[in-house]
Amino acid sequence: MSLEQRLAWRNVWRNRRRTGLCVAATVFAVFLVVLSVAMADGTHEKMIEDGVRMQSGHVTVTGVGYLDDRTLERFVVLSPELESRLDDEPSVLGWTPRLASFALLSEDTSSQGCAILGVDPETEGRVSTLPERVAEGRFLAPGGSRELVLGARLADSLGAQIGDEILVYGVAYSLEMAYELYTLVGTLKLPNPGLERNLALIDLADAQEFYVYGDRLSEIAVRLESARDVVAVRELLGAGLSGIEVHSWDQLMPELEQFVVLDDAGMYVVLMILVVVVGFGILNTILMAVLERTRELGMMMALGLRPAAVFRVVYWESIFVAGVGLVVGLALAIPAVVYFVANPIPLAGESMSGMAELVGMEPLVTFELAPLNPVVSAGTIFAVGLLAAFYPALRASRGRPVDALRSL
Amino acid sequence: MTRCLAVALAGVCLTGIATAAELEPPPEAVDVADVVKRAEAAMRGDRTYCKCEMTVSSPRLASDRRVVFESWNDGPGKRSFIRIHEPAKDSGSGFLKRHPNLWMYVPRVERTIRVPPSMMLQSWMGSDFTNDDLVRESSEVADYDHVLLGVDPGSDKSGGRRSYVVEYRPHEDAPVVWGRIVAWIDAERGAPLFQEFYDEEGEKIREMRFSEVREVDGRHVPHRWSLTPLDKPGHQTVVAVDEMRYDLEIDESVFTTRNLKRGRPR
Repeated sequence: MSLEQRLAWRNVWRNRRRTGLCVAATVFAVFLVVLSVAMADGTHEKMIEDGVRMQSGHVTVTGVGYLDDRTLERFVVLSPELESRLDDEPSVLGWTPRLASFALLSEDTSSQGCAILGVDPETEGRVSTLPERVAEGRFLAPGGSRELVLGARLADSLGAQIGDEILVYGVAYSLEMAYELYTLVGTLKLPNPGLERNLALIDLADAQEFYVYGDRLSEIAVRLESARDVVAVRELLGAGLSGIEVHSWDQLMPELEQFVVLDDAGMYVVLMILVVVVGFGILNTILMAVLERTRELGMMMALGLRPAAVFRVVYWESIFVAGVGLVVGLALAIPAVVYFVANPIPLAGESMSGMAELVGMEPLVTFELAPLNPVVSAGTIFAVGLLAAFYPALRASRGRPVDALRSL
Repeated sequence: MTRCLAVALAGVCLTGIATAAELEPPPEAVDVADVVKRAEAAMRGDRTYCKCEMTVSSPRLASDRRVVFESWNDGPGKRSFIRIHEPAKDSGSGFLKRHPNLWMYVPRVERTIRVPPSMMLQSWMGSDFTNDDLVRESSEVADYDHVLLGVDPGSDKSGGRRSYVVEYRPHEDAPVVWGRIVAWIDAERGAPLFQEFYDEEGEKIREMRFSEVREVDGRHVPHRWSLTPLDKPGHQTVVAVDEMRYDLEIDESVFTTRNLKRGRPR
């Protein structure tokens, strides 16, 4: 430690209560910022994961123009080349072919339009969680025929019971009238009530026959090990193949991506305010420490300490206060985050879980410790601390020894 | 970017001028309400019957799809009944409209379905017509304001015939899906010849051409309606009227769900 640092360290602890309070404010800020960012990261990661596992997959292969015009016209065919690329890529956890269209369901006197999804019961679970979300009855059986699974709310509004024969009516790819009776074998409880009111599943082979669609598909949904592999896999799947488009989850669910960006922005504004308040706290502490030592500083300057050295002494004080705060803050925050990563907080109470359900996610607050989070949070608060010390340090170094010695 | 915009704007202006230049100013003696009423009377009437053949073309299809149907109507837009005869696969299917409901009957599984409002804009029988076209009760006379734009001395759109060009602007509360309609109406015979349908953003969505105007019961009725949706290239639906009759006695039992299940009316 240089002389300046030693001086500063001693000065810091001359008024323990004031310094203690200031350190506590810094600790609090670090703790809060790290925890909030971890919570936001965790929640967003989970929303993306939920969205991806709900339906779209991390990556989806479709025919050209499908995203803008989701009609039977925009189809994709699973070529052997595409199939081998999907099977050979190690970051692909699973993929499943689907056919998506509209249909009219009718049971007795009630009828309702809905989205029809033809899925392969065997591979669907490798991508989405749909097969695990059975509320009543069972999911489509592999190889079963003319079976139907409905969102629980859709089944309710149709007044349909398990075992009922439900008429599905639509317009086939061949523009013929397509209609067929399907047996309701199960209902699904989905986190998104809109989807639960609007989704019907049948076997992919049934759907291809119903819509006279041959071996065409609407989409091939792909689940990856991690959202980080999306870009690489997108390029790999699409390279050199004509007639297909490969989309990533943020293109498929732009509203989700926008929500994440907006939510992040809102959080950063609040955290910025917090950090600025802490900055003023540090400013206040250091300024007080400088003002009450006017005489002492004047004396030091009179004894030959140069203004630049005074500036540095005061600056070191600020660095020590902020530094201690950071270390303690991180020491508290990181274990807390690690704990919450392992033990997500369930949202208790009807209203909270209702709200979570409304946006289509499980009522669970999850955390995620991104390596950048503590580094950036601590760095920001430290930088604000340094900025806050600038004025007191400048003031201390500008004082004229003659005036200073005369003051109390 | 700006350049593109300028070119596009110039294009729009030029087309505007070109269309305007083709039209003669509207003669003052013409009552636009009269023109519109005559045109509607040619297409709709109280208690009508028609037998039609509909041909649907689409890039999806190797050969066109043919649908033959009969239709009974009672009171413009109030009640109607449609029975499908061809293709053989759909023979016996039927549609019953009793405002504001639409029912559909599919014989193979012997079920009657009420078509919910959410399905109204879906295709009817795979054609470019929607279910809404079938059940719409809006009247081209009562639900629109009419402006006579001018007289077309005989362009491609009017099939070479002298016609009034009328813009239909829907009333604010009218049950209408269009932003506006521009119609060419035969000046002499009163039959509609051509219609352009615009959405609320002002974009032209579809065109309907009426041709083969023949006289039936004192009315000049187009016997061929060609619908071209402009947002779906390669698609077209043509309805050819085989037989058309007006002012019939139609039994009340025609417009019932029981009749739907009968496979053949009366």
